[in-house]
Amino acid sequence: MTTAISVSGLVKSFGATRALDGLDLEVASGEVHGFLGPNGSGKSTTIRVLLGLLRADAGRVQLLGGDPWRDAVALHRRLAYVPGDVTLWPQLTGGEAIDLLGRLQGGLDPARRAELLDRFDLDPRKRARTYSKGNRQKVALVAALASDAELYVLDEPTSGLDPLMEAVFQEEVRRLRAEGRTVLLSSHILAEAEALCDRVSIIRHGRTVQSGTLAELRHLTRTSMTVETARPVTGLDRLDGVHGLSTEDGRVHLDVDSDALDPVVRHLSGFGIRALTSAPPTLEELFLRHYGDAPAADGVEDGATPVGAVRS
Amino acid sequence: MSAARPELAGTGPLLRLALRRDRLRLPIWIAVGALLVATQSVSSQALYDTPQDLAAYEASVGSNAATIALAGPPVGLDTVAGAVAFEISAFVILVAALMALFTTGRHTRGDEEAGRAELVRATRVGRHAPLLAAVLTSTAACVAIALAVGVAATATGLPVEGSFLLGAAVGAAGLVTTGATAVIAQVTGSVRATYGAIGALLAVAFVLRAVGDINGNWLVWTSPFGWAQATHPYSDDRWAPLLLCVGVAAALLVLAAALLDRRDLGAGLVPPRPGAAEAPRSLRSPVGLAFRLQRGWLAGWAVGLTLLGVVYGGLAESVETLFADNPDARAFLPDAESLVDAYLATTLAITALLAAAAAVSAVLRARAEESAGRAEPVLAAAVSRPAWLGAQAAVALLGSALVLLLSGAATGAVRAVATGDAGEFGRLLAATAAYLPAVWVVAGVALALFGLLPRAAAAAAWTVVGYVAVMTMFAESFDWPAWVDDASPLAWTPLVPVEDWRLAPLAVLTAIAAALLAAGLAGFRRRDLAPD
Repeated sequence: MTTAISVSGLVKSFGATRALDGLDLEVASGEVHGFLGPNGSGKSTTIRVLLGLLRADAGRVQLLGGDPWRDAVALHRRLAYVPGDVTLWPQLTGGEAIDLLGRLQGGLDPARRAELLDRFDLDPRKRARTYSKGNRQKVALVAALASDAELYVLDEPTSGLDPLMEAVFQEEVRRLRAEGRTVLLSSHILAEAEALCDRVSIIRHGRTVQSGTLAELRHLTRTSMTVETARPVTGLDRLDGVHGLSTEDGRVHLDVDSDALDPVVRHLSGFGIRALTSAPPTLEELFLRHYGDAPAADGVEDGATPVGAVRS
Repeated sequence: MSAARPELAGTGPLLRLALRRDRLRLPIWIAVGALLVATQSVSSQALYDTPQDLAAYEASVGSNAATIALAGPPVGLDTVAGAVAFEISAFVILVAALMALFTTGRHTRGDEEAGRAELVRATRVGRHAPLLAAVLTSTAACVAIALAVGVAATATGLPVEGSFLLGAAVGAAGLVTTGATAVIAQVTGSVRATYGAIGALLAVAFVLRAVGDINGNWLVWTSPFGWAQATHPYSDDRWAPLLLCVGVAAALLVLAAALLDRRDLGAGLVPPRPGAAEAPRSLRSPVGLAFRLQRGWLAGWAVGLTLLGVVYGGLAESVETLFADNPDARAFLPDAESLVDAYLATTLAITALLAAAAAVSAVLRARAEESAGRAEPVLAAAVSRPAWLGAQAAVALLGSALVLLLSGAATGAVRAVATGDAGEFGRLLAATAAYLPAVWVVAGVALALFGLLPRAAAAAAWTVVGYVAVMTMFAESFDWPAWVDDASPLAWTPLVPVEDWRLAPLAVLTAIAAALLAAGLAGFRRRDLAPD
């Protein structure tokens, strides 16, 4: 297994703010790697260092076997990039921006370009000034996906896309993976990483807090369930991995460690399940429980998640 | 008010917001207008302090078509006050028109394009309120510049009624521009298109007025500039033409409100034309991109400086007659055997200043690209830092050379026709080239600032342009120590065609410009990308 991206002890400060504080990241060639963290945790800063747009203060950074600062141009020929916040030239049309970015990167495949425009339902004749956020994102996505690169660096690429377009995006990432290309996908949505990624790295306050396959991380996450059964459920509190159990109007709410789902569901089925809803684990919940902070959940104390607090 | 006219609800708070946002911009526009009048008034009173001087001035200028085209109707030139109005009114009227254009455009189409208008209109604000607030802001600024001009002229010793009539004419031209901008902002879909369309209309109005004044005919009455200057301050003191300005401005405002009712928020009346689905072959490199982004800027400066070159060339004829009879005015020009050459050297230095301003604005475009985040995707592609900045620098350096040489060629062509000596064209074109190294040094300073101090680059670069401008135009008038002037690249430029073309200082200036460019490239290569 060769390494596409290798970062260790990366430090980057802006004045008094330490944006990256000893960050580590390993991405193997040919994998789709999820780069997860709440807003402001340092994902975009890391990516800008990887692209040689920012210079590292300390630490070791290797990208495709080269130094991203020193060998920027040579490395950029081998990668494609979608920025988190796409700004385009207002007077250029979407099609012109796609061609420009593709040509600057080293040329793009016209057939793929046409196919992607069609799949993402993007009108290339409109001026960039009239595009919505989602359409600007599509311009950057088409330019990146239509180019022939070894590594695709995608910084929160779906933040402006609707669910239909997100599905198209996920298909395209799977296609890259099938072709053996490497993808670094930054996101703050755990479900997106779960759908696409072989491995993930989770960062917080500029440091890596977890890294591994999603199976390895499963013990960290919990699924929130609500169950209605024919007979009253008993004995759940004796099972491992069950938390925050409560009963209300004959409905049972519980949070289940993701690696304990099977025994719990088996136990429940003995009481005749009539209805079952489950909410997938979220990054916010994971941070809340394991690190005692989630930017989105002000005022919630460290410790077990109160039942109902994470239902969405 | 809001109960009676729901479509105007919220005008008051929006007006206060607009005035708050413009609390620096508008005082600067107004001060520039007043200062132009005050300086002209003081210098004209010093120049034409005897009846003989004034008579010579009237004789030379009053019959010169080029001057009349530039300034306005040659009336009241038998008094110093009339001469002041003749010399400066066209410029102050232009200042007021641009102030009204940018103020009205910013608060109407500009806010819609930025998405702020949507946020505002979703609150308890009537459909017409943003337009009315913008127009009221611009109107207040026009009234203020009218009073400021009147006070500036009176305070420097000019007759009271004429002074405030001059001010009112300036403000009235601003009001017509306000109304026209309000209408065009409804028609076009972008603020750039609004500025472009009004800019073109102002140019047409200027030309109509110029042709009308040269021929002394009815054409002046087709132009708002003509109406404003038909007031003839300090001679006939006519107030009636201002009614025409105010009436037209009011009619335009009613039209703008009616058009506003017929369109959607964010859209223009003209549907946007679809553009190219694919990029042209030229758009494939950093240079191709930089040229594409700056070609409008380049065309604008090229047209502007070429016209200026024509005017300067045309004025040369009357210089001889004017300065032969007025030793005071003569003192303003460098010593020379040929008065015309002395005059041409001065105009070339001023043209070089404008070319330097053009170069600096082109260099700062790189900073705008960087802070808007548009440099990031380009530099994340296979484009090196020097290639990207080098492309911006190439457009700035070659573009400023082009506009400067076009201006010199225009002056040379006009002089060649006027004197019947074809050699004048080549001589003046060569003279213009002598000013190019100085222009490049100023551009080089801006490039070095961009590379080394990106966040301070814009303010610092324009300060340098301001310093060079003050040194070039006023250094002779003040008793500053020599070193104050010596840092200006134009101080080291031989004043061709009065002085001889000398290679040594120009080679040194070019080397300095190259060193500054290298410093900018090296600094940019070493620093972080700094979007803001």
